[in-house]
Amino acid sequence: MVAAAPTAFAPVGAVRSFVAAAAGRGTSVSVPPRAEADVAMERYAAGDDASFGVVYDMLAPRLYGYLLRQTRQRARAEDLLQQTLLHMHRARASFIPGAEVTPWAFAIARRLLVDGIRRGKREVLSEDGELDAGRDHGPMADEVAQARELATEVQRVLARLPHSQRAAFELIKNEGLSVAEAAQVLGTTVAAVKLRAHRAYEALRGALGDVSAEGTKS
Amino acid sequence: MTTSPPSSGSSPLPAELRARILAAASASPVPSRAVGRRRQAVALAAGFAVPVALSLYLGGPTFRARPVPYVVALAVAWLGVALAATLGGVTRGRSMLGRPAFVHFLVAAVTPVALLATALLTSTAWPETQDDHPVAAAHAICVAVTLVCALGPLGAFAVLRRHSDPVAPRLTGAAIGAASGGWGAVVIELHCTHASTVHVLLGHVLPVVLLTLIGVLVGDRVVALRGAA
Repeated sequence: MVAAAPTAFAPVGAVRSFVAAAAGRGTSVSVPPRAEADVAMERYAAGDDASFGVVYDMLAPRLYGYLLRQTRQRARAEDLLQQTLLHMHRARASFIPGAEVTPWAFAIARRLLVDGIRRGKREVLSEDGELDAGRDHGPMADEVAQARELATEVQRVLARLPHSQRAAFELIKNEGLSVAEAAQVLGTTVAAVKLRAHRAYEALRGALGDVSAEGTKS
Repeated sequence: MTTSPPSSGSSPLPAELRARILAAASASPVPSRAVGRRRQAVALAAGFAVPVALSLYLGGPTFRARPVPYVVALAVAWLGVALAATLGGVTRGRSMLGRPAFVHFLVAAVTPVALLATALLTSTAWPETQDDHPVAAAHAICVAVTLVCALGPLGAFAVLRRHSDPVAPRLTGAAIGAASGGWGAVVIELHCTHASTVHVLLGHVLPVVLLTLIGVLVGDRVVALRGAA
């Protein structure tokens, strides 16, 4: 496997996103054009071979980010991304006209991830819980250190949450899925996903509030 | 609830990954949807040919020993149950992930109950059908015929949903099993000469429950989407 280009972990951005989530605030960045992926898959199912490249371009960055966050191993994330897209490729003949591609793709990726974990292939996290390469040294050192501290706390809180709450939170806040899409991926109802995500927000809000209070005292 | 930006977009993809995945897809070509639909139609036709062939082999619908309106009414009711179960348990609606898990659960749980309930309701209109007291062998024969008749649709449904469910394949399988059991129940209803509630329960509805359980296995082995080992 060819070595991947260094990837920015971007702890500052990740933590800001988590903090915004915990504070219940939305962000102004737009969600990628999902309809394009739907249309591309539709064309691919209809026989346009070239459209699979568009499907890849629309979905792969989000799926890769999701898988990378979950596995923290580039090679594993790449392997799972390839499996996910090849599953979608194999389902070409049975693609339903008008179906949404994004929740389907995430559901496949999640299933492959869970199966991998069950087979005991989960890679060991690096000690500080970060990716194995490609750290971003751009921001000031103290800002990075503070952000990492927050990120570590966030990860700790998330790790303590029940799996159902963590999964709902991550799909909505990290991956940008709507509540309805997350419900499809998790195979449950919209109300259940809302409840799980809300509980995760509350846990994070409480934990980050404690961290902020400690930071203010010191 | 607001939707936050997909921060995954900040993780750059390895440049050669795209070429590798597209090459892997090209190396294992998959037919387009038009071809896939034809294959699905063939699978369905082959699957439903089993109960039709068996029905013809048994000499077609039997109306002796039971009032004709009773047979017709119950067959129509069970046909409706089978259709509803197929619609809810086998078809995927407009989502590639199929219908929600709770719909599949409802199909698996309600189909046998609905079959029994409609049989009870129908028998109230023809109380003389309850005078019948078949022996245990009759129950066993009906169980066997129902199972055999349902195997065709079960196989066809499994082909239709093969490796398609990454979320709750066992529930989907259970729903598929219940739906196929519904079709088997329709066939046995047209041929069986017994109409007592006990016989309907043991000979016609029990196999639907068995098929629902078989469906769980089919879901786990066939319907489930699995990653490479």
